[in-house]
Amino acid sequence: MIVQTSLLVGLVLFSVLAILLRDLLKAAVSLAVASLLLGIIFFRMNASYAGVFEISVVAGLITVLFILTIALTNKGEEVRESKLANLVFPLFFVVFIIIDALVMKGLLQKIPALPSSPESGAFGDVLWKGRTLDLVGQIAVILAGVFSVLALFRKRDKHD
Amino acid sequence: MTNTWYLYLFFSAALISAGLYALLAKRNLIKLFIAIEVIAKGVSLLLLATGFARNNVLVAQALVVTFIVIEVSLVATALAIIINIYRHTKSLDVRRLAKLKG
Repeated sequence: MIVQTSLLVGLVLFSVLAILLRDLLKAAVSLAVASLLLGIIFFRMNASYAGVFEISVVAGLITVLFILTIALTNKGEEVRESKLANLVFPLFFVVFIIIDALVMKGLLQKIPALPSSPESGAFGDVLWKGRTLDLVGQIAVILAGVFSVLALFRKRDKHD
Repeated sequence: MTNTWYLYLFFSAALISAGLYALLAKRNLIKLFIAIEVIAKGVSLLLLATGFARNNVLVAQALVVTFIVIEVSLVATALAIIINIYRHTKSLDVRRLAKLKG
């Protein structure tokens, strides 16, 4: 429990750092560390496949994509962030945490207990046999992503 | 089990709120996207924690894997759009996107 709590605190801390840090490269790296911690939390919840996906895809691939984008742009150094927003953020966050701690337990008790039967079978069975329509949706989303990236990076014709 | 569930939900709500605040307050496009990623982390933690609390880890895990795959597709598309915006406006400031004329 203590390990899990400290992992969760680290996750929130690195995510907040990713938001607050001015240097985008440091922000991207701290986002990757947060993903790594989330992956470890998944492993500790006996969700090894989700953990592997989180660490390899989110902490690896998405960080690489972020760093590539930061390298291709000039880090947005000309963008002037609002100073007031940066100053208000810690206050907002602390107030939210206090409200969260006070209200969340009451909210949880209002959720009706859904009947849940114990699961059987392997992860592969649940992943492939338990779902039908959303797999089609997932394939459509991936194809849409591929086509949109292709369309956005296509070579322009001369008359464009 | 409710105590563990409470702990996870508490932290995922904190993540989502921090992401939402940054989404509202920041002006750099890449920073806005980092905020979306933080929200996505909160949502995936929420999904898996609920599955864990209800003894349905496998279904929750399948959902999280689907979510991560879709997230990657979203990230690739959005970062390509950000690079194109940068080429057009030479800036990452979201306030410069007020004009519709390309």
